Formats: sequence, structure tokens, C-alpha cells
Amino acid sequence: MDLEKNTTPELPVQSAESRSVPHTLPEGYIPESAKPVEHAVHDVGEGMSKKEAMRIRMKSMSKKEIAYLRRKRIFEKTWPVFRFLILFGLAFVILTPLLFMLSYGFRERQDMNDPTVIWIPRHLTFKIMKQTINAMKLNAGFMDNNPLVNTLFLNIGCSICQVVTCAVTGYGFARFKFKGRNLLFGIVILMILVPTQIISIPLYMTFRNFLFGNFNLIDNSLVMYLPALMANGIRAGLMIFIFRQFFRGLPKELEDAAYLDGCGPFKTFIKVMVPNAGSSFLTVFLFSIVWYWNDFYVTSSFFRNKRTISLQIKNLDGLLNIEIFNNANANISAREKIVWFEAACLISITPMLILYACLQKHFTEGIERSGLVG
Amino acid sequence: MKIPYERRKALYGYGFISVWLVGTVLWFLIPLVESLCYCFMNNETLKPNTGGMNKDWLSFHGGEWLQNFRYAFRVDPKFKQYLISVLKDTLIQTPMILIFSLFIAVILNQKFKGRGFARAIFFLPVIIATGPVYNIISGNIASTGADSGAQFSTLFETDMVDKLLEFLGVMNISDNLSEVINTVTTNIFGLVWSSGIQILIFLAALQNIPVSAKEAASMEGATAWEYFWKITLPYVSPMILANFIYTVIDSFTKTDNKVMELVLQKQSDWNYAHAAAMAWSYFAIVMAVVGIIVMIVNRFIFYEVE
Repeated sequence: MDLEKNTTPELPVQSAESRSVPHTLPEGYIPESAKPVEHAVHDVGEGMSKKEAMRIRMKSMSKKEIAYLRRKRIFEKTWPVFRFLILFGLAFVILTPLLFMLSYGFRERQDMNDPTVIWIPRHLTFKIMKQTINAMKLNAGFMDNNPLVNTLFLNIGCSICQVVTCAVTGYGFARFKFKGRNLLFGIVILMILVPTQIISIPLYMTFRNFLFGNFNLIDNSLVMYLPALMANGIRAGLMIFIFRQFFRGLPKELEDAAYLDGCGPFKTFIKVMVPNAGSSFLTVFLFSIVWYWNDFYVTSSFFRNKRTISLQIKNLDGLLNIEIFNNANANISAREKIVWFEAACLISITPMLILYACLQKHFTEGIERSGLVG
Repeated sequence: MKIPYERRKALYGYGFISVWLVGTVLWFLIPLVESLCYCFMNNETLKPNTGGMNKDWLSFHGGEWLQNFRYAFRVDPKFKQYLISVLKDTLIQTPMILIFSLFIAVILNQKFKGRGFARAIFFLPVIIATGPVYNIISGNIASTGADSGAQFSTLFETDMVDKLLEFLGVMNISDNLSEVINTVTTNIFGLVWSSGIQILIFLAALQNIPVSAKEAASMEGATAWEYFWKITLPYVSPMILANFIYTVIDSFTKTDNKVMELVLQKQSDWNYAHAAAMAWSYFAIVMAVVGIIVMIVNRFIFYEVE
């Protein structure tokens, strides 16, 4: 900043030839003096309007510089317009499906065949919503295999377990030197790379015959909880990686101070490192919630009767056939079915949307501070 | 007993990762090796029975041990076709996602009114696109004819693109370019919806560009264009690689991945050996391609030495 202050105010009074710097610079120099900066105005003369000062300064400029300034000015004027157009168009693409859900989830199904109805339904109704809730069994009793209760129970519990264990593991990888560390971290990378579909069948067999065939854990919540408790849940590799990067970025002095005060490593981790990692914890926790909420690969391979929301969405076609369309007078075209599908989508994403709306800052800014980069 | 400090620290290190290590052996490494073994077992007899899998190794004679792979590539009517189409899709989609997300990240990093709101909208796909909802959304939008891609292309009609290019002074290439832009815009829905995390990562990288580099560039009178190529791109280049890998991995678990769908279907038909062979060959091919690309690209990446 100092350099800038020293050089720029001189520029306008000097003639083009006597300047020493611009010869070595790319064509069309003069970035700062172009703007009517306060201290530059001071040079040109007190009490002048910005326009006048600009005009005086322009006189001492070469043609190239003036052209550069003109181009720059045009760019600065037009770019916001283009930026708005681009962002608006793309935001529209993102928001369309959500508007769809709102528009389609609350209309009668005959509206689908009405060419005059595009966005605003003619028959506004909650009927479709209620039917979808019935079909998805969301109205089942609290302990009666209710998908919402199941999902929340798995979601929050597994996310907490997973965040804690992944943080401990990530810290171990970040701050301790031990034999085989690189090899073990290679396994973490492998965990990120290998798709779950590859290991799902052997895992199924493990859970089916748990502890030498003494227990059958299929349809039990433990199939989700056990891996999560041992830092092996959904996308655990990625979380360990994020935590490791984060803890590596924290200053070493923090721990040294704690060690000198007589803290052991575990106490140091809990008392010193964890309070510093708050934002990182929250970010990973939020992502974990989202991934568990959306997952259906893992749940569909281990759950036969247990219902979760994403499984219900995945099997919605069958569910709708059983619950709603199976009566004789139902004659449903594929186009009309969309109404129920969109209603189900709306039901499924609403909790996530609310979470997102409340904690949006942590989603978007947390990851920047979480040390994923660098 | 006194253990030296270094040794003690190493032991603590093992202590910290021990929980993960046990879990990984149980829930990751053993299943991984087992699934690899399935590739070389008899598909007919590989069925679950009481107490575990009924395992029957293929004999090593006369290339019989490659039977499952031979089935996948030669006999199965769909696998090869799906594999090629999915690989092709990934190869085309990935660079597009990278370019697009970098572009959006650069825009979202600028200062303007309503930036927070714009960011919130662009990260919205992050919370939705990994789930089964995305499948329904993209399917329905295509089937109702209200394809937002089409709507977007009317917003940026070919005429308008030409005019824009004319305005920017690159007239001669506008014909080809507008064709490319047309193909991009028809695919814009998938593009926007699958680049949430990538935008997030790029944005984080952009904010890590030191202020000194920014100041130096503006002192030297760099234009926005020069700034992008000489400052932005080198600084975010490590993240381009990371994003590339992330995008490829993400394509494994995408709900509309046909190869994985086929694998799941084989699994539900009790053809475990065939399913394992298919999944592993798909994974191996993708990893080989990724490895080669990473090795090549790694030379051009600027790592800041600290």
C-alpha cells in the first residue's frame, strides 16, 4: 500500500517521457491514477470536481493509456449486467425444480392435463400431500417403523459418532509421527476412492452372520451405528481427510503450551484442539447429516423392512401403486403421477431446506475455514 | 519404565487412530479383499448359506479363473455398452463441470450486492443432488417438457450469443462456438446440479489467494483476463486436481449411473461373482484413467512452497 501512495500521485504531473516505470510494463499502464482517488485529486487541484480532474489528467496520457481506460470503463459498466444475467439464469435453473415441487405438490391431478395450467394450479389442494404422506407411511406410529423417526434416529446419532471418531483419527494422522503412517493414510485415500457398491455384498454377509453367525443384524440400526462408531460410516474417508487438513493448519505452539503445562495428548486434544475446531466440526457434522439423509445405497442393501425417507422415495412408485392406485377407478397416466412424486420430493427435502436456511452461513463459509484447501 | 519421548508420541499416534484402524479392518479392508476374491469364484455356487458364503474358487487352469470377467465383457449384453457410455459421459462431463464451477466460483468471489443470496442458491444442490430426489427431479423436468435447459437457452439464444461474440470482437469463430454453447446449454441442468461441492472448493481456494499477489497484479496494471490466467489459475491449480478426482468419485454414486445400476441388479439376482467382476473392472478402468491424467496434469500444477 505504501508503494502505491508514493508513486501514483506523481504520475499525472509527470510527462509521459520522463516516467521510468511504464516502459517495462504491459501496454496501457495506469491502473490507479485512472480512478479519481482522493489523494490524486489533491494533486490536480483542490476544489475540482472529479470529472474535471480526470480531464486534466487525460491530457498527459498517451493514446494507449486512454484506450486502456476506455476499455476498462466499458468493462466495469457492462460486466455487472452480464454477471446478473448469468447468475439469474443459472439460479433459475437451480430453483426451477423447487418451484415445480411447490406448484405440482398442491394441485389436483387433472390439472396436469389442463394446458392452461403451467405454474399456478387451478385446484389448490392438500389432498395429494395427504395421500403421499399416507403412502410413505409417514403417519405411522412413533415406534411403528415410522420412516421419519428412523431417519432422524440414524441420521443424528450416526453423524455425531462419525464426526467424533473421524476428528480423533484425523488428529492422529495430522500431529503424530509413527511407523506406517503414510501407508495407513493411503488406506484413508482408498476409502475415499472405493465406491460403496463394491463392498456392499461382503458387508451384508458380515452383518447377516455377525460374530460367527450368532447374530443377524440386518434391519437393525447397528448396521449403521457400528461403522459410524469406528470412523467408517458414509464418506468417512473424506471426513478424516478434512479433519487432518484442518488440524495440520493449526499452529503447533498451541499443543506445546499444553504439553508444558502437563497435559497428556488426549487431554490436549479435548481441552485445546477441539475448542479451536468448532467451525470445522459444525461443517463436517452438517455434511454428514446431509449425506446420511440422502443415502440409499447403504440403507437399501442392509434394510429389508426398516423404512427410511430416502428409501421410501426410491421405492415410491411401488408404494403409490399399493396405497393409492390399487383401487379400481384409478386410471393414472405417467404425466399425472408426477403430482405425487413432486409432493414426495417436497416432503423429503423440506427438513434439509430448513436446516440449510438456518445454517446457510456454516455450509458456505465453514468449509472455507475448515482447511479443506491448503 | 521410561519410554523415550519420540516413541511415546508414536504410541499416542497409534492410540488416536486405533478406533479407526479396527473399524477399517472390519468394515472396509476385509470386505474389500473378499469382494476381490468373489471375482475369481464360481458364479453358480457363490450363494449365501447358513453361516456365510458358499465359496468355490475357479481353477487356475486354462484361463478359467478369468471366467467372470469374460462373462462381463463378452457375454453380458448390456455391460460393455453401459460401460462405454458411462465412461464417455464422465470424460465429457468432468472437464465441463470443472470449467463451469471455476467460472461460477470466480463470479461468486467478486463483490456485488446479493452475493450471499447467490451463494446460498448455488450451494443448494449440495444438499439435494446426492439423494434419490435428484433422480425424480431431473426425470420429471425432462418429461414435462419444461426443460429448464431449454428455457435457459432461450434466454441465451444463439442470436444473442452471436451478438455477444460480435460485440466482444471474436466474430469468425462464433459459428462453432455457438454450436458448442448450444450443446452446453441443453445439458445445463445436469451441469449446474452436479457442481455444488466443486464450486465450494474452488471458492475456498480463491479466498486463499494471498492479498499480496492481488496487489502486485493491480500495481502492474493487469487486466481481469491477465489476472485470471497469471494469478487465479496457478493458485487454484492444486484444487483443480482435487476437484477432478472428487467429480470422478462422485460419478460412482450418482443415482443415474447405469453401470452401478447394472451391478446392483446383478447382486439382487444372486449373481455375486458377475457383479463383483463388473464393479471391479469399472473401478479399475476409471482409476487407471484418473491415474494417468493426474500424472500428466501434476507437472503443470503450481504448488506454493512455504
